[in-house]
Amino acid sequence: ADTAGCDDGETVIKFAHVTNTDKHPKGIAAEMLKERVNEEMEGKACMEVYPNSTLYNDDQVLEAMLQGDVQLAAPSLSKFETFTKQFRLFDLPFMFKNIEAVDAFQQSDAGQAMLDSMQKRGLQGLAYWHNGMKQMSANKPLIMPEDAQGLKFRVQPSDVLVAQMEAIGGSPQKMAFSEVYGALQQGVVDGQENTWSNIYGQKFFEVQDGTTETNHGVIDYLVVASVDWLDSLDEDVRDQFTTILNEVSQERNAAVNEVDMEARQAILDAGAEIRELDADQRQAWVDAMKPVWEQFTADVGQENIDAAQAINAGL
Amino acid sequence: MHPAPGHRLVDRVEEALIAFILGAMALITFANVVARYVFNSNILWALETTVFLFGWMVLLGASYCVKKSAHLGVDVVVEMVSLSARRLLALVAVAVCIAYSFLLLKGAWDYWANFANLPQTLGRWFPLGFEENFRPKAWYEVNDIPNPAMLNFLETLMNDGDPYEKLPRFIPYAVLPLSMALLLYRFVQAAILIWKGRLDRLVASHEVEDELAEVRAQRGEEV
Amino acid sequence: MDVLILFVMVVGLMLIGVPIAVSLGFSSILFLLWFSDTSLASIAQTLMQAFVGHYTLLAIPFFILASSFMSTGGVAKRIIRFSIACVGHLRGGLAIAGVFACMIFAALSGSSPATVVAIGSIVIAAMTQAGYTKDFAAGVICNAGTLGILIPPSIVMVVYATATDVSVGRMFLGGVIPGLMAGTMLMLAIWIMARVRNMPAGDWLGWGEIWASFRDAFWGLMLIVIIMVGIYGIPGITGAIFTPTEAAAVASIYAFIAAVFIYRDMGPLSSQGEGKNSTLLHRPQALLTAFWHEDTRRTLFEAGKLTVTLMFVIANALILKHVLTDEQIPQKVAEAMLSAGFGKVMFLIVVNVILLIGGQFMEPSGLLVIVAPLVFPIAIELGVDPIHLGIIMVVNMEIGMITPPVGLNLFVTSGVAGMSMMRVVKAALPFLGVLFVFLIMVTYIPILSTWLPTLMMGPEIITR
Ligand code: NA
Ligand code: NA
Repeated sequence: ADTAGCDDGETVIKFAHVTNTDKHPKGIAAEMLKERVNEEMEGKACMEVYPNSTLYNDDQVLEAMLQGDVQLAAPSLSKFETFTKQFRLFDLPFMFKNIEAVDAFQQSDAGQAMLDSMQKRGLQGLAYWHNGMKQMSANKPLIMPEDAQGLKFRVQPSDVLVAQMEAIGGSPQKMAFSEVYGALQQGVVDGQENTWSNIYGQKFFEVQDGTTETNHGVIDYLVVASVDWLDSLDEDVRDQFTTILNEVSQERNAAVNEVDMEARQAILDAGAEIRELDADQRQAWVDAMKPVWEQFTADVGQENIDAAQAINAGL
Repeated sequence: MHPAPGHRLVDRVEEALIAFILGAMALITFANVVARYVFNSNILWALETTVFLFGWMVLLGASYCVKKSAHLGVDVVVEMVSLSARRLLALVAVAVCIAYSFLLLKGAWDYWANFANLPQTLGRWFPLGFEENFRPKAWYEVNDIPNPAMLNFLETLMNDGDPYEKLPRFIPYAVLPLSMALLLYRFVQAAILIWKGRLDRLVASHEVEDELAEVRAQRGEEV
Repeated sequence: MDVLILFVMVVGLMLIGVPIAVSLGFSSILFLLWFSDTSLASIAQTLMQAFVGHYTLLAIPFFILASSFMSTGGVAKRIIRFSIACVGHLRGGLAIAGVFACMIFAALSGSSPATVVAIGSIVIAAMTQAGYTKDFAAGVICNAGTLGILIPPSIVMVVYATATDVSVGRMFLGGVIPGLMAGTMLMLAIWIMARVRNMPAGDWLGWGEIWASFRDAFWGLMLIVIIMVGIYGIPGITGAIFTPTEAAAVASIYAFIAAVFIYRDMGPLSSQGEGKNSTLLHRPQALLTAFWHEDTRRTLFEAGKLTVTLMFVIANALILKHVLTDEQIPQKVAEAMLSAGFGKVMFLIVVNVILLIGGQFMEPSGLLVIVAPLVFPIAIELGVDPIHLGIIMVVNMEIGMITPPVGLNLFVTSGVAGMSMMRVVKAALPFLGVLFVFLIMVTYIPILSTWLPTLMMGPEIITR
């Protein structure tokens, strides 16, 4: 018996993710995907969304996927480090000029090839979903990279992000996400980096001196499924599903800049400080952080870096 | 009627292991606070190491607590019924426990096996042989703990010679099949004791039985 | 319907003497294998993730460890002396001092039974000697001991915070005012009973004794300061230093140092009873040997064993939670409740009833792991503050601990006092009334729980 509202004979697609369903770009996209699949693939497939890490967190979900217990997930790109070091490209600071450059790279041959790069480990990338460009905040003004000297920054525990924070003299710290707000407020850590929608959604701006519009990195998601599951699908089911997924991805990715800017505006409306950098100041951050690239060039591939830079130059 | 606290070598080893792991967890976490607050630095592997130790302590400790009948439970009903009924209930209860640990052992093996390039078992309830084709996952590393140099030999053994930057997951996860096998073993032992009439229950009704025993002893009551 | 079978099975297995953890785990496994496509391996994954995926649960072993060092050493004795010096001269003074001591020990310890053992083993005997009935003494301590989970730190709050992803620090702050209030209400009730029944009053020992006993208890009381200042800082002077989990670890290290090197009640410098303790000057090697001294190992092991039994229940409750989520039960419960037109008031009554009934059978932490995810989404939908909901749950757990058939504090008190369970149940009854009034107040006056966390940490953010 299936207690979860799918009919017999339908392919069940469980999609587990870690955000809310109505405010976060990923949650919104997941709901939209669910509605379209359940409407248009009635009788063939049925999708159930498990938001808010209720079923799996980002770390567990990939294990569960390889195990066959969940069919769809969209962890942030840095979660795929263990599968292939190529995805470290997206964590490298100032690799992409803006979200348009990120999008162009993801749609390029290099970006599309990365979708297939984990096949031998059992994962197939299906689509990129944007969240946005990362900004940096702290309990004091961050204008020049020297301002970050000696500050404790909460980061995702990726080697690249650790190296990036160390490059500006910061001290990277790891902690449970639910404790970050309290830790920032109480001063256990001094700062953090995130997208506008995350900074707004988690209310980090309330407990920071201000946010500096650095756009120094990107937080994006990769929608993945297991190779074995995809192979097990009838061809028409698979094709219809990927078509719907691609359409949803395009629609949401096009709208994400707007979501991001709304979050930015909401932060301003709440009376919080947002600091913009002039060209020289921004260059100082680039100069301080860019040396990190060298350390990871072998992982991400020079050709991918070149492709990303060519796109930046063309925009 | 609880078995007397044993002082056999196995007991002492298990007790020392539980004590050591908890002490290590506290010291590592404390060291990370000192690193951050005093030295403005960090021990990035501290948190992950501590949670793995946590898992090891509880999972391995679970079988020790079976041996000592220390798992929390409800013995109100057991206290109310006749001796023969009590024995029957205890036998049913221990049968459930054996079934539980058996199913978990299968689950634990199936979860861990591919991480160690080994085959999972077939079958939904019972292991019906081993799968023939599977995707080995020994390349799957933990998030933060660096692979110690002394484990570099695993790279050729398990990972086609590819380097491990971080500890491969099959190492910390190995506790699962190990602890579930121990748990099964301890429940079978308990079943034998119950069958022979040397044990009448599997549970302790609350978490401070030892402390209470001490209080009673101080009052001069028989424990 | 399926879910009903699941819960009946859990309770049935528990009643025939299957360990709570196994009852939860086994029922979940059967349910999963019968009703879903998910593999047995996912159960093993959930079991591992109970530890690896929930960083906040780490606070539990550390708070248990801190409390173990504090009770193995004579800290409880010193706290009681200080309490008697403060309030012992009132009518019913020793009983009031017992509650006061429970409140202080509750601020050192995360568990209620631990509080009953530490304070009860001394105070009940002392009260009987001073002319109180044993029943009265047992009733007082049995109830006051429940404050162990309401006054921070609290294991049950850590579990709630983990299950619902709210901040542990915020939850702890939420418990401060209700904790002080419940303690005060109990003391007031005792004082009134003492006047009516003309119970004994102790002698006023003078400010000197208050000061002397305070100095003696100082190093134990410092632990409270370390935890609170460490987590929240002092406004205007210092920010916080650590997360609640780290606070627990620091507390356990501090408690070790206090017990071994300052009080020397245990470890290489202790004379074990008669004679004067030696000092570090005489035995500097103790700085090293303390780490593997028999007493240290023993305390570590006892705390570890306690952690194992509690966490094995919690881990298996997480398996049950996983299976419920997998079958989307929380959504269905939420839909059913909301479509039945439940408002805030009705919802809170239902929560109270569920928890009061559940609390009759279940160990509190395990119950919370299961119930919190079921009711949390509805609470958010209805605009109930997450911290308020959490405090309501904790107070329900307190009541569950002193009501039969399964009441941890009842068992422990009956052991500590050497009385039958039924006698303790009757003895606890009058004060149970006080806790019920308190539960109603906490349920319908949200500001009691939310004022302090909002003041210190700003308004709650709900990101779900
Ligand atoms: Na407490
Ligand atoms: Na109860």
